[in-house]
Amino acid sequence: METQAKPVEIRDLEMVFNTSRGEQVRALQPVSLEIAPGEFVALVGPSGCGKSTLLNILAGFLTPTGGCALAGGEPITRPDIDHGMVFQDYALFPWLSVIDNVAFGLERKGIAKADRLKQAQNYLELVGLGEFAQKRPSELSGGMKQRVALARVFATDPSIIFMDEPFGALDALTRRFLQHQLLEIWQRHKKTIVFVTHSVQEAIYLANRIVVMTARPGRIKIDQEIELSYPRVYTEAKFRNYEKLIYDQLDEELAKTFDFESKGVVRD
Amino acid sequence: MTGSAARTLPYIYAFMGIVLAWQMVVVFSGAHVAILPPPLLAAKSFVELIASGELFKHIGTSLGRVLAAWTIAAVIAVPLGLMMGRSSRFERIADPVIELFRPISPLAWIPLAILWFGIGESGKIFIIFVATFFPIVLNTVAGVKGVDPVLIRAGQVLGCDDGATLFRKVILPAAMPNIVVGFRISFGTGWAAIIAAELVAAQSGLGYLIADGMEILRSDLVLVGMVVIGILGVLIDTVFRIILRAFSWT
Repeated sequence: METQAKPVEIRDLEMVFNTSRGEQVRALQPVSLEIAPGEFVALVGPSGCGKSTLLNILAGFLTPTGGCALAGGEPITRPDIDHGMVFQDYALFPWLSVIDNVAFGLERKGIAKADRLKQAQNYLELVGLGEFAQKRPSELSGGMKQRVALARVFATDPSIIFMDEPFGALDALTRRFLQHQLLEIWQRHKKTIVFVTHSVQEAIYLANRIVVMTARPGRIKIDQEIELSYPRVYTEAKFRNYEKLIYDQLDEELAKTFDFESKGVVRD
Repeated sequence: MTGSAARTLPYIYAFMGIVLAWQMVVVFSGAHVAILPPPLLAAKSFVELIASGELFKHIGTSLGRVLAAWTIAAVIAVPLGLMMGRSSRFERIADPVIELFRPISPLAWIPLAILWFGIGESGKIFIIFVATFFPIVLNTVAGVKGVDPVLIRAGQVLGCDDGATLFRKVILPAAMPNIVVGFRISFGTGWAAIIAAELVAAQSGLGYLIADGMEILRSDLVLVGMVVIGILGVLIDTVFRIILRAFSWT
């Protein structure tokens, strides 16, 4: 029996960091957002806009300085195996074999050894890496490592999955392949996914909904439903229209960022 | 040429070069045999010591002392290093203490070792312990602090809910290569300290062989002791390097 996807609710979430110099840096303006169960939401915005901060709060790694985040109606206070995470640099345990990496979370869930190895093998096969079970992560390419990380997170059957630029370090073709694979798994297992990315194209290709954030301090600029059926085609006119819409919004923010940075250079 | 031959050959060349230089110094300086015996005489003494079984007794004694001291050091230093690596508050207290003791050579501990432990085994083991302790602590601390934070986060979202589980399943295995490097370095420093440890009131051991050879003006025995320490040091280090390979994931 699979875990039901949960909704995510963000209410007036705020984050202020204290730097080592004693200055206060506001990373997030009050942000509010509601994500329905099983929805695939992409967060897009200029670098430093606070989208990773937002994701780290949702994953329970950071405590917000204001507001709150709820998963399935419960406040998020700490990392939880029910809220999976995929990291940009894979975060596989290098001392474990591929299959033991995938089985790691299952062991923590108290599943018996034979069962968890069988389940881990199934998920490895789901990402096409069944034959690599006994390899070490260091023997795999970047794309293969991220597929292991996908198998690892889906194997624990979480109700929500957070992804922090998971395909950012991969080459364009591998990236395309993994996007396709992720969509397939998501359509089969319908988890709630919050996906941070720099790529507008990737966001439109994958997500139900795109949230564009402003330059720092981040807040939500637009919240756009993507009403295209899967599989989506990059070259289609509707796809292009969404792309233009999102880029127009981003360009405004980039202009602000560059303006801000050039002032910063003068100040220094 | 196989890999192991390629690694061993440089050592054999180095050994031959040293023997050759040694022979030349003997010939050109005309040194008295008690000051610097020719390599051949040292080799003869070496063979005699092997034939009588005496050399193995010395090696066994020295190896046993280093092993004992090194084990005690590991048992104390690894937990200490783990705690220092995890708790910055504890590190702030412990680090200055360690840094103050670290520069003091094991030789400097000989008088106190005799006063505290007498001239038996425990004093010798204490001196080697001093030599083996610090590399293990420092490498363990470095290993724990060097754990990639993203692996800790990955452990947390994969169900390591409490600190103890996270430590056992993620931090310890991630720090293990550094800890083993500490073991390796520390065995080396401990092995080098057997001279200091066996300088006083020893009845056997390679350090004793050297000290005794000096007293009875048998520099051939001194040289045999030195050569054996050198060769065994390389062999032990090779064993550690093989162990270390099992912990290298890249």
